[in-house]
Amino acid sequence: MTAARPRRVALALALGALPSTAWAHLVSARFGDFYTGLLHPLTAFENALPWLALGMFAGLQPRGRSRWLLLAFPLAVAAGAALAGATGELPGLRLFNLLSFVVLGVLVALGREVTQGALIAAGTVVGLAHGLENGLAFQRGGSLLLFVCGVGCAGYLLITLAAAGTQVIASRHDWGLIAARAVGSWIAAIGIMMTGLALTAT
Amino acid sequence: MRFRNLDAEVTHMTRSPTHGRSRRYPVLLSLLVAAAAHAHAQAGLAGGFASGFLHPILGGDHLVAMVAVGLWGAQLGRPAIWLLPITFPSVMALGGLLGVLGVALPLVEVVVALSAIVLGALVATAARPPFRVAAIVVGIFAVFHGHAHGTELPAAANPLAYGVGFVLATGLLHLAGILLGTLVRRPWGAGLVRACGVVVALVGGYFLLGHSGLFG
Repeated sequence: MTAARPRRVALALALGALPSTAWAHLVSARFGDFYTGLLHPLTAFENALPWLALGMFAGLQPRGRSRWLLLAFPLAVAAGAALAGATGELPGLRLFNLLSFVVLGVLVALGREVTQGALIAAGTVVGLAHGLENGLAFQRGGSLLLFVCGVGCAGYLLITLAAAGTQVIASRHDWGLIAARAVGSWIAAIGIMMTGLALTAT
Repeated sequence: MRFRNLDAEVTHMTRSPTHGRSRRYPVLLSLLVAAAAHAHAQAGLAGGFASGFLHPILGGDHLVAMVAVGLWGAQLGRPAIWLLPITFPSVMALGGLLGVLGVALPLVEVVVALSAIVLGALVATAARPPFRVAAIVVGIFAVFHGHAHGTELPAAANPLAYGVGFVLATGLLHLAGILLGTLVRRPWGAGLVRACGVVVALVGGYFLLGHSGLFG
């Protein structure tokens, strides 16, 4: 014990003296727009919650039915983000995206099965609308391609992780399906209040 | 051999009086560390989320009533144990919507305190009404709880984050009640859960007396 203590102190001091990496240039020097696009939807409840609900809803479907959604949704999000420059802010877009909280949250809470076509159609429409909203945040002068790739990757990551996580938890644990449906009702509840707030603001 | 030395070292650490004393000093010193004083309230996303999350927790009547919903659901068993926590947030959101829209409800705080008394009494007596009756009772109280939260939503630093915070906190309080309520499966657990109901009702009574002005 007495012999080990100096060694531990020396190790702690050595670790404390280790220099941390100094970044002379910001990461934004090259792939900044990619990271901006990636983080924009992931750091905003406006996007993250409905996407989470869509992924959970996909995870509650029978195995294999939501496979094409994992491709359709990120492509729709990327397409929406790319088109935002041309369309500008469409009237009612924000309200539509808030309503997607309610619809997707209720679908998760009900835990019903839908056809593959309906799932892909819903994912494409939601993806396009949320992509358009994300695209409005793109700063002129940057690389639109990188930004769109970032937003699309965020869509793929979130939807895939949510779908896979929900399917695993709901199929392996008795409480998994209940927990997923409860989270769906929470998202719907948030959407109901936010839609009301948006309506009063307009 | 190495494991034997380790065992000896652990024995020395736990039995040595000097080691116990040396552990005491850092604990005492840690008590002297000053906590950070925030001169300004949190703003933006974090501020909205924090105020929303803390709103049901810092209100004692909200807190015990939400736990009581979980306790009662666990007492009632299936399907109430999972239907009540799923439907409560949606019904609460309707009350929240009324609050957001500025639609006034009468005696909101009184009904919130009353909800703790009624739900606590239902848990304490292990009442088992038909599920529809239970859902209606909980639903009515959910509207008032939602209204109390919803009226503060438009003024929040970030309304969406506030909404996420208070819905999440409410759901976690239900979960706490359900987990506590699962003790009813044990022989001694049923009595403990009913005792929790008595505590909930007493807390509700305290808040109701407070609203009546008896405590100044």
